[in-house]
Amino acid sequence: MVGPLSKYSFINAKLRARISKILPDEIFDRLVKASSLDAALVILQGTSFAGLQEIYSSTGDLKKAELELLKNEIELYTNIKHYVHQNSIELVDALLYQFEIENLKNAIRIYFDRKIRKLSVDSNIHYILYDPIIHQIPIDIIINAENFDEIAGVCEGTPYSQIIKKYSHTVESQGSLFRLEIALDHFYYDNLLTSIKKLDHKDRAIALRLTGVEIDLQNINWIIRLKNFYDLPLEAVLATIVPGGFNLNKTIIAELYRAQNVTPVLQDFVKGKYPGLSALLSSQTSESTSRLLLIHRILEEIMKQEVQRILSGYPFTIGIILSYFILKRNELKKIRTILNAKEYDIQQQSIESMI
Amino acid sequence: MFTTEMIQLFAVVLGRDSQRVTEVLLREGVMQFINTSEIEGKKLENLSTASSQSSIKEITDLRGRIEGLLYSSGIIPDAPKVADLSSHVPVDTESEKKFLDQIDGERNGIRERQRTIQQEIIKLEDIKRQVEIYGLGLSDLPLKERHSFLTIQTGKIPVSNIKKLEEGLRGFPALNVALGQEDDTAYYLLISMKREKEQINQILSGAGWTNIELPNELQSVKEDIFKEVSVKLKTLTDEQKKLETSVKNLIKKHEERFRQTWVNLRITELFSTIQTNFKHSSRTVIFTGWLPASKKEKLDKEIHKSCGGRCYFQWQQPGDEEIIGEDVPVQFNNPKMLAPFQMLVSNFGIPEYGTIDPTPFVMPLYLSMFGLMFADVGQGLVLATLGILCAYVYKTKPEKKGLYTLSWLIIWCGFSSIIFGALFGSYFGVALIKPLWFDFHEIISGRNTDNSTINDIFDILLITIYFGISVIFLGLLFNWINIIRTGKWAELFFDKGGIFGGWIYGGGIYIAYYMVKHSYKELPPGTVTFLLVGLPALLLFIKEPYHYIKHQSSQKFNPLIILNFLMQWIVELLEIFSGYLSNTLSFMRVAGLGIAHVSLMVSFFTIAKMTSGVMSIVILILGNILVIGLEGLTAAIQALRLSYYEFFTKFFHGTGKLYTPISLNSSYK
Repeated sequence: MVGPLSKYSFINAKLRARISKILPDEIFDRLVKASSLDAALVILQGTSFAGLQEIYSSTGDLKKAELELLKNEIELYTNIKHYVHQNSIELVDALLYQFEIENLKNAIRIYFDRKIRKLSVDSNIHYILYDPIIHQIPIDIIINAENFDEIAGVCEGTPYSQIIKKYSHTVESQGSLFRLEIALDHFYYDNLLTSIKKLDHKDRAIALRLTGVEIDLQNINWIIRLKNFYDLPLEAVLATIVPGGFNLNKTIIAELYRAQNVTPVLQDFVKGKYPGLSALLSSQTSESTSRLLLIHRILEEIMKQEVQRILSGYPFTIGIILSYFILKRNELKKIRTILNAKEYDIQQQSIESMI
Repeated sequence: MFTTEMIQLFAVVLGRDSQRVTEVLLREGVMQFINTSEIEGKKLENLSTASSQSSIKEITDLRGRIEGLLYSSGIIPDAPKVADLSSHVPVDTESEKKFLDQIDGERNGIRERQRTIQQEIIKLEDIKRQVEIYGLGLSDLPLKERHSFLTIQTGKIPVSNIKKLEEGLRGFPALNVALGQEDDTAYYLLISMKREKEQINQILSGAGWTNIELPNELQSVKEDIFKEVSVKLKTLTDEQKKLETSVKNLIKKHEERFRQTWVNLRITELFSTIQTNFKHSSRTVIFTGWLPASKKEKLDKEIHKSCGGRCYFQWQQPGDEEIIGEDVPVQFNNPKMLAPFQMLVSNFGIPEYGTIDPTPFVMPLYLSMFGLMFADVGQGLVLATLGILCAYVYKTKPEKKGLYTLSWLIIWCGFSSIIFGALFGSYFGVALIKPLWFDFHEIISGRNTDNSTINDIFDILLITIYFGISVIFLGLLFNWINIIRTGKWAELFFDKGGIFGGWIYGGGIYIAYYMVKHSYKELPPGTVTFLLVGLPALLLFIKEPYHYIKHQSSQKFNPLIILNFLMQWIVELLEIFSGYLSNTLSFMRVAGLGIAHVSLMVSFFTIAKMTSGVMSIVILILGNILVIGLEGLTAAIQALRLSYYEFFTKFFHGTGKLYTPISLNSSYK
């Protein structure tokens, strides 16, 4: 049996070196203060994101540069697979599903707009990935499909075919992709949790904890969307919840959804597990969406603390790989947010509140 | 050996002279100002600050905008020069903002055009990609391929509707090829996506499109159709490149103006930054700050000259009662050749003012340790050459100053390897010339070298132990000097690296030496052992009661405090004994890595002997590359680690503040 040292010593050293290359806050400050999108991209020269400026200055197309960012993000995962131990490869593969599922969702959205909602195909068609990520999925055919059966057909041999078949009628009858997208997300997390269960005891505990916090974030994201766009009853909301959350179970979510003051609901676990975040609880808000956004913010902070805990703890666990992915994802998210904000000429203060 | 001597200036000048004084302060660039809030706490009340932060922010923002423009065209503005000070004119920020808005507008216009062209390119690439994936040719007309998403049709429209057709198709990935005109009818071949059939058909009928069979005389056109796609793509790509260049040209066209404005803004910004440290009364301006004592005379003269002697100066030495602020900034005082080693020191921390700057000692220590671990003339030569090449590349790049300094460190390390390689007779792992000291390779191979002093591995280990003892004693000596200079007399005795600690260490070394001399069977006589180790250990017991009396005399005495003294004393003694022992033995890694280096080379020679001809040469070359890369890096890291943790920790706290005066060259990022 392979010990944690031989499993993680190399990848731990490699990823810690890479983590040290993650853009520091000082660069993000400068990006936020940049006078224009061009000026912001100049700041990224000399970093691993220098390519963005090249793309933008030669095309004027920020979306193309963002597509490149997405490709790089996927490349991170496929690249790490070469360095991790056999036991962890399945987990990295399970994480890669998020990109394939997101890409598939985008392709289905384009089909749905074109065929069901009879809208003209928007330019997003040019900004999705056509190259395979895990499975050979002909994105072209999905976009140009005539019906859901055709989409399910070309997805045959992938886990998505059954899901699409199962929800196609609901999508058509309800005129919304909402159920299908939730089902795809559920599949992603089920698959991820299955691969986590195959890990060793110590790794499993760490991965479940980090994934649990991520599931909490995902659930809150869904609830915010459901509240804003669908205003569904609580039972329907609870049905969409992904199981496996770390801090928020169905009971807490139900309470949060209904409560006028979220502080008492949150303080049990925040004060117990993350006393440093108690200050965030002092923000009072009565409006339901702001309430959920506050919870989202707290969960993001919790994720940061969990990552920090792993990085400063015992180094030879799966935690280093997961932490690296989380840190990179946050870094890329911040860059995307700032660059888009610069393109739309959003004020510095607003950008600061977004990141 | 010590950092630059500093002096504090407290100055009062007339308000009307403040601009001229500011100019002098900026030109000389030697003052590190003390924040006005510190002055306030001391003795100056009812005074106002001169420059407002908001005006500086406005200027900084404007400068940042110009920088952004210049950088995006690959232009890096030069820091203002002394000559720019006299020609400096205030910038009309409003008109500059308008000008920048205009340039931004023009650039955004170009970007918009780029985006439009990019959409065209994407659409054509979409068509091209479909063809490439599904391998369709025009000869297959009409397209039957199951997964073809293209539809191709030929038709005619009235000439008057050409524009309408072209505009209608603009939003779609479609290729509309004009085949020719006959009277008032135009013939077209249209390639579009099946998914947009309905919308395309609407556009076509709106333009009066009638499907026709392709006339025989035009059949050849379809063979060239995809060539046309490529040509169109190339045209659009070329146009994109032109637009990209035009953005750069737009800025380059105004480069001179931007540079000049940038310099003026930078000077204004520096003026304002200096003046934020001024305190104003109705007629006078007061400022204070630190500067190297050697610059005192010139600054004094220049300021007096600028305000016609209408000023009052008070100079204070560090430690004087009247000085304002607590920290004296630290300026390194080393020759340029020590820059790589100063980099190593400042990476650990900045020495406190008045204490020893270890840079001149780090150079010989670091290089000796590196050389002992990586001794080879050939490999050292390779390192030095690599360092020289890197230094040459980075010399002209001010933004890569760190890498330039690092290149010099590599050069130094290379030369150290050469010297130690000659001492040990190693030339790419071969003993080409007789060693000047002893043959490392022969000793590792277990052969007697007939050298009277170094004959086996234990002798090599012993060299590094002696070396370590010397380094630790040097560190202790520096600690005592630092403590004496700062006047912390209790620490001089009671600090772990104080006189009692050093006494125990020295005594311990003697006892160890005595035991080795007596074949590990005998200790020195009891009185000697007591005097060497016991007495200083007992004297250390005074430390805690001394601190108690000095700092906690108000705390009520109880018997548990004595137990506390005892425990702290025992823990301190344990720390001293185990600490010094591990510190000394830690230096054995120098020998260990030296042995590993030689062993690796011996291994590669053994492997090379198993083969012959070119293969053996390849093995030796690869072996040398591996050793240079791997061992070189390891030796560098270990030498640094020993310097930081075994040497620096004895005397160097690294809590000093670096001297950063406001000057024309001040960093602006």
